[in-house]
Amino acid sequence: MSAEVKTLKREGSTLAEKIYFVEIFKGMATTFGHFWRNLLDNSNLYVRHYPEVEPEIPVRWRGRHRLTSHDDGTVKCVACFMCQTNCPAECISIEAGERLDDKAEKMPVKFNIDLLECIYCGYCVEACPLDAIRMDTGIYSVTDNNRESFVLGLEDLLKTPGAFSEEEYKKGGA
Amino acid sequence: MSLLDILLVAIRVAFAAFVPLCFIAVCVWMERRGAGFFQDRAGPNRANIFGFRAAGLVQNLADGAKLFFKEDVISDHIQHKFYFVIAPLIVFFTAVVSFAVVPFADTLVLNGKSYVMQGIPIDIGILWFLALAGFSVYGIILAGWSSTNKYGLLGSLRSTAQVISYEIPMGLAIVSLLVVYGTVNLNGMAQYQGQLLFGFIPMWGIILQPVGFLIFVIAAFAETNRTPFDLAEGESEIVAGFHIEYSAMKFAIFFMGEYIAMFASSAIIVTLYFGGYQIPFLATDTLINYAKPVAFLLMLGLPAGMYFFAGWIRKNNVSHYPRENDPRVYEGNIYIKGFWGLVILLELILFAILLCKSGGAAAHIFVVLLQICTFLMKVTMMIFVYIWVRWTLPRFRYDQLQKIGWQVLLPAALLNIFITSAFVVALS
Repeated sequence: MSAEVKTLKREGSTLAEKIYFVEIFKGMATTFGHFWRNLLDNSNLYVRHYPEVEPEIPVRWRGRHRLTSHDDGTVKCVACFMCQTNCPAECISIEAGERLDDKAEKMPVKFNIDLLECIYCGYCVEACPLDAIRMDTGIYSVTDNNRESFVLGLEDLLKTPGAFSEEEYKKGGA
Repeated sequence: MSLLDILLVAIRVAFAAFVPLCFIAVCVWMERRGAGFFQDRAGPNRANIFGFRAAGLVQNLADGAKLFFKEDVISDHIQHKFYFVIAPLIVFFTAVVSFAVVPFADTLVLNGKSYVMQGIPIDIGILWFLALAGFSVYGIILAGWSSTNKYGLLGSLRSTAQVISYEIPMGLAIVSLLVVYGTVNLNGMAQYQGQLLFGFIPMWGIILQPVGFLIFVIAAFAETNRTPFDLAEGESEIVAGFHIEYSAMKFAIFFMGEYIAMFASSAIIVTLYFGGYQIPFLATDTLINYAKPVAFLLMLGLPAGMYFFAGWIRKNNVSHYPRENDPRVYEGNIYIKGFWGLVILLELILFAILLCKSGGAAAHIFVVLLQICTFLMKVTMMIFVYIWVRWTLPRFRYDQLQKIGWQVLLPAALLNIFITSAFVVALS
């Protein structure tokens, strides 16, 4: 059985196309149409008026991290080091301590994420066995004036709320 | 020399020197906002002074200030620092000076004395432009060579080859034009184009020489290093070509030189093929005789045009997102008031002309001003064509460029000369 050969029509070989000018004028008519429409009415430009108008962040967007907590306010993290081990950018550094609230044996005393190192891959969220770290804050732009302020501590990570409801988050495939 | 003589010399030299410089801002603004609109973007429209954005013109000031205060780097590996520094100056200077022979209005006759309205009153006209346009490439070649950089050298090599292959069709297109006009003086050419063909078509170069026009425009695009012939820059293949090693104000000089060259070559195209300063159907003598009716029509037309312009500002100078007390509406209202003030001023001037004696000095000066406005409007439109082409056509491949130059434009230009000459001989 021979292979099926499909012959494609070669474009650009007619006389009108070889003279160039006809096609050039056609193209110029197209671009001028865009120019003229936008000049007369600039309300239909395909641009977002950032920063006044912000983009819509979907649930599955990997934004800045946060640490979740139990209903009574205690941290869910048990300092198992899964996220730190998994992190390809080595931006997480945890220091474990003894836990006294009977939830588990350990808890983090220090939990630092260096956002300048982080590549926002989401492996830490995947690795966490207790759903203690999430990237659902919806924060997509992290800016500051000095390097030190890009290192997030336990406090910062705990106090940022999630941008979505629990229901939506679960629907997002987490 | 009377005081009037000196004043008019000062005015025409100032016009030839400063109008190209002012048009840098206009060109850059048109290029960036135009590019935005061609691609359904907005272009730079945020930079402002106290909330006044002037449709994005303020961005030019910001860019200029930035380039002025940047560090001017001359790398250690550059051995010929003199050539390195002088190269942008050559590009800039030749571009400015090449505009000097373009007449921006017909010869002004005051008290029986005539004053030529071009920067340098010489008769060689078009030859001066050709010489300087050829010379400006020396700047690019020097820049690429003295950069001691492989991309720079490639850029200047391309530019050299391109100039050799495109100067010839350009010169030949002009030869056939000279056969038609019978003069090398640009003012003579513009006066020739004030006539009417068959009594009702303006005798513009584009109607007499359509093939020559296409050849000249293509060659002019290549000469000014604009897309689709900007192989010397070719940012996607040779980074930035000849100005890769340039920074800060030296780069800005290159940049400005490029835009002045665009302005100058637009002015030459307009003078050669679009009747120069001539208003269609209204040659200079007719205009002087009918100065009053023309002034009256302008008095009617200006407010009508301003009415629609104000509507356009009101519609487009707003924020396209919910915003309380939109400052852009306030800004737009101030623009509208300013433009209405300008219109009232112009109306007063036109009214004064209506009161003056017809055919007198006032009429002559009015006609000159009218022709300057016409000329600048035509040049602006030609610059827009440059920008329009840039944002429509992709860059040619190098061999295609050479093929078009030698195998298409050169024979076409030669054939055009033969046909034109045959016609001219047969008709005379």
